[in-house]
Amino acid sequence: MNDPFWVEGTALDSGLEVFRQAAPPSARSFSASLVAPAGWAYDPTGSEGLAIVTSLVQTAAAGRRDRVELARFLDRHGATITRRVSSETSSVTVWGPSWSFDPLLELLADLVFRPRFDMSDLARVRRQVFERQLRESSQPESRAERELLAMNFPPGHPYRATGLGTRRSVSGLRRSDLARFHRDHFSAEGSMLVVTARPSLADLRRVASAGFAEFARRSPPPTPDVPALRSTGPKERRIPMEGRAQVEILIGGASLPRSDERYPEAFLANEVLGGSLLSRLFQRVRERAGLAYHASSDFDALRWGGHWQARAGTGPERVREAARLVADEVRKIRERPIPSTELRRIRESTIGELPLSIETAQGAHSLAVDVAYHHLGPTFLRAWPATLRAVTPRRIRAVASESMNVAASATVLAGPIPLRD
Amino acid sequence: MAGRVGIAVAVPRVGPPPVERFSLPNGLSVVLAPIPKSPTVSVWVWYRVGSKNEWPGVTGASHWVEHMLFQGSPRYGKGEIDRAIVEVGGTLNAFTDTDFTAYFSTVPREHLSIPLDIESDRMTRATIAPSEVERERTVIRSEREGNENWPEFRVDEQIYALAYQRHPYRWDPLGYPDDILALTPADLAGYYHRFYGTRNATLVVSGGFDPANVAPEVRRRFSRLPLSGEDPTVRVVEPPQRGARSATLSGPGTTPFLDAAWRAPSVSDPLAPAAILLDVVLGGETRLFAPGSAWSRSPEHPSSRLYRRLVDPGLAVQAGSSWRPRVHPGLFSVHAQAARGVALETLEAAVLDEVDRLARDGPTAAELREARTKIVAGAALAYEGASKRGFRLGYFAMFGPPGSESDLLRRVLAVSPRSVRTAAAAILTPDQRTVVRYEPTGATPAA
Repeated sequence: MNDPFWVEGTALDSGLEVFRQAAPPSARSFSASLVAPAGWAYDPTGSEGLAIVTSLVQTAAAGRRDRVELARFLDRHGATITRRVSSETSSVTVWGPSWSFDPLLELLADLVFRPRFDMSDLARVRRQVFERQLRESSQPESRAERELLAMNFPPGHPYRATGLGTRRSVSGLRRSDLARFHRDHFSAEGSMLVVTARPSLADLRRVASAGFAEFARRSPPPTPDVPALRSTGPKERRIPMEGRAQVEILIGGASLPRSDERYPEAFLANEVLGGSLLSRLFQRVRERAGLAYHASSDFDALRWGGHWQARAGTGPERVREAARLVADEVRKIRERPIPSTELRRIRESTIGELPLSIETAQGAHSLAVDVAYHHLGPTFLRAWPATLRAVTPRRIRAVASESMNVAASATVLAGPIPLRD
Repeated sequence: MAGRVGIAVAVPRVGPPPVERFSLPNGLSVVLAPIPKSPTVSVWVWYRVGSKNEWPGVTGASHWVEHMLFQGSPRYGKGEIDRAIVEVGGTLNAFTDTDFTAYFSTVPREHLSIPLDIESDRMTRATIAPSEVERERTVIRSEREGNENWPEFRVDEQIYALAYQRHPYRWDPLGYPDDILALTPADLAGYYHRFYGTRNATLVVSGGFDPANVAPEVRRRFSRLPLSGEDPTVRVVEPPQRGARSATLSGPGTTPFLDAAWRAPSVSDPLAPAAILLDVVLGGETRLFAPGSAWSRSPEHPSSRLYRRLVDPGLAVQAGSSWRPRVHPGLFSVHAQAARGVALETLEAAVLDEVDRLARDGPTAAELREARTKIVAGAALAYEGASKRGFRLGYFAMFGPPGSESDLLRRVLAVSPRSVRTAAAAILTPDQRTVVRYEPTGATPAA
């Protein structure tokens, strides 16, 4: 099967799931990711930051290669490794030329099974995470995001934190903590290998059976508790940050998980609100009012829940008006049906983007990881246009009124503003 | 690993792909780069006009004109350019640098005519309506304010302001805040009509199309444009720097950091290949021949000299270097951010010592071998996808005649260790150095 919109999967005897997507026809490269249930939602209390630190140290040196040798190996192949940790997962992705497929997949196996967890890497990563913690606190954008999550999700909720932990919690992490976390969370069941490349699924199955045979057949870690969300009415927080030039405006709240059957409606609601240049936020806040350089919205639908946020960045003298417009547009999505011409335009634009997403192996791969992680099935991408075309304005409004509720959302303003107006 | 796919995949040639090039009688340069199975096409127009063509009072004009070219023409009303591209699933954007301004759209391949029509229209017929200029003024201010939130932007702006006294590289392409407040619609229209036009533009089309069909369409759409665009060559020459310069900025931030920069060769200078190799040895990568985006930089290069000297022992949390191709002599810069508790003076001393060592002794033969291997491997994937291919072909067209990329790569691979050592000694001298330090102020925010 040479269609990048077909993501097929199989399970090995160990329980590891293997997914294969054909590389785009003109691609010279491939991508392979190992996704494990090792996100920061699994950080033990008092060890916040463990998932991120583990990922950074795990991918610094592995097998017979220390970090310098690992870097040289990647350089020789013109390849990169990327690690991504979210609340739910930790993934390692190798991207490189298709003629280096075998050695780079071996490297991925090394990173998964044979991390060295060198003490010097742990010390360096600690220092780097300390700096990231400071940056998160002192940059208006990241500070606003952190506050918004804390306002929308109660203590103990897996989406409340940003995963970086505190100076104290990261200082306390030991090599043995990392090794234990790695052992407990990188097990075959619950993990998946996703590959965007030319080889067939049968070939990949053979390679994965051999190369990833060390995966312990162990139950995945139990899903963290997800406390129920209670609506507490609208909340606003202002974070004065002297010496900055721009205020970050964020409005957001909890939303649907990816498995919810109303996901297509919520997805399109976000697209209409702030997902593109044609969206209401971009058109109203930037193109008509000229109030901000960026104005957009995001919708993250995850396994255990989801969240949405609308944002804009503007100067302190324009913040009141910009915040009003952003809130106004969110409210309209909930209260009024989207005109069918507007919905058609946004929907067809989204459908038309699909060929762009398979321009490169990397672009295609991000689709495959999404399909694999959420078990959307091999035909999901092919069926996506028809799924979106079946969505009606009435259904969007019904979903938005529940999942984009300004009255139950939080607003954060961070930047050069006073604590009170 | 016991199992191997073992599928033979030929290692392709490294360097730019084969293309068809031609020029129209009105001066427009055209590059067609078909990718037979690509589902998309990418259309780029590159103008040899950037902030180097501005002068005090109109700084930021190139960037503002870039914004205005999305705001309408007699053929495309306000918002219609965005709509035309995005409605068919395409993406579009533009960016302004010191030496050029570039516009691009990538669309499903059956919609190639749309971006071709837009670009042939806005090359000479943008409206630049006063009301839209006024509305866009706050958008531009907001863009600049967003950048000012980052200490790195402030330091970068300051280092160019210090290193250049006369040349237009002195200011950032976003322009000075005062000029953003003062520029008039007439200023912008005048700037646009003076520099935009066929003579200063290169059109690149890459992706899934047949050149036999597209070449006639390009000729039909663009040949009717008049020969236009004033020569954008800048004749201002920055006087030699005679002595080190430095400044210290303060403001909100995390840990202290610094940028150190040295006057560096332009892209056409015989020393440019050596500068590229020095960049790889010192900082770990070169923007020009890398598998990823030409703009983004990977922060971690554990095999580089700076990383081993600064990050490994805990002096810094990140460190790197940068030589960017420029039409005129630019800067070779080194940046480092202190680890918490490390004083700026300690960091600066270590940075300068490491650079001095490279200037004194040059890279080792093994380092040069590694750097060249890295460059060749990186270049192999540099043209993947219609958008990236369009970017690279246009980018190199801004710096030299056809074939200049291959020529530069050839010279990078051929330059002798002695020449690299000589170049290091010539470039990295103390009297050519400018340092800007950043000291965070106020209480350390709670993590």
